[in-house]
Amino acid sequence: MKAKVLYLITMVCILAAGCAQETTMIDTRNDEGKSVMALDYRDFDMAASKMIQSMLGSGALKKPEGDRYVVATGRIINDTTQRIDTDQLMVKIETEILNSGQAVMTSAIGSGSDELLHETRELRNSEEFDQDTVAKRQTLIAPELTISGKIFQRNISYDRKTQQIEYYFQLKLSDVKSGLRFWQDETLIGKRGSNKSVSWQ
Amino acid sequence: MKKLEFVLIALIVFSYGCQKQNDTRIHVREGVASDTLGSNVVTRPVAHAFSALIGEGIEVTNAVTRMSDAGFLELYVNGNNKSYKTKRFRYRVEWLDADGLQIETKTSVWLQMSAMGKSPFSIKAVAPRKQAVDFRMDTRKWE
Repeated sequence: MKAKVLYLITMVCILAAGCAQETTMIDTRNDEGKSVMALDYRDFDMAASKMIQSMLGSGALKKPEGDRYVVATGRIINDTTQRIDTDQLMVKIETEILNSGQAVMTSAIGSGSDELLHETRELRNSEEFDQDTVAKRQTLIAPELTISGKIFQRNISYDRKTQQIEYYFQLKLSDVKSGLRFWQDETLIGKRGSNKSVSWQ
Repeated sequence: MKKLEFVLIALIVFSYGCQKQNDTRIHVREGVASDTLGSNVVTRPVAHAFSALIGEGIEVTNAVTRMSDAGFLELYVNGNNKSYKTKRFRYRVEWLDADGLQIETKTSVWLQMSAMGKSPFSIKAVAPRKQAVDFRMDTRKWE
């Protein structure tokens, strides 16, 4: 009797293990996976690629004197039903702005700011730190341009069984001194699928 | 009877010959433009079936590169969709430096493109680095 039970348990375990969904790595370079209703990394890649090409191609980042602009990242509003870290878009754009050699990003201010820049300045007059190594006053460089934007979605009932979701990526580049807008663009990613699919995650 | 055949043929030839050639920059699509000998209610299904049978698709006519005012290499790819159906595909442009080595950028991802049947299309890409002097482009089906 005992042997039979043991045999059964072993068989159930083996079967259960065989049925388990295998975990696979995504081929992010040539992903042939199906599209999903929510925004996935491919959508961010696509939106970022279009935005970068549009921004650099416009010549808005070319400084007349040949220097490099100092750019700060402003607020990127997520007005979708998804919990999106907008850095998923902005890091790609900031990286390419930096690598283009036309501008530098600032970590002193804006949504890409680094708290340590300010914390280290509080070390002034601290006896624990060599004051020659502490950043002096008026050493931070103010941004000349800012990038801000918005990601929002519209849900539309296409027919009884199908829904349409439109995701809009909007970015704008403005001059701090004059307030003039040097560049802006919008990328639309549209998806149509079953009403049963959810786009909020 | 022979006279009737002759008149019919003459009419067809005459109407075909008189057909006004549109400005090539303006594409008047099938169903919008007047029917032609090769595209009317009788011949259209045959032409569509034949096009599908021989597997007509996208053809690239030329690729032009130029330096933008900002100093980045710009690529313009022009082509035609030979098929009667809308062709959806993905493309990826990779940028190469003076040594022919690939430049890693966030812009070299698969992007979508759609070309309507029997229509020209254009793709524009901008290299995000000044080191880019050449390119290579790949395409794949849009699942």
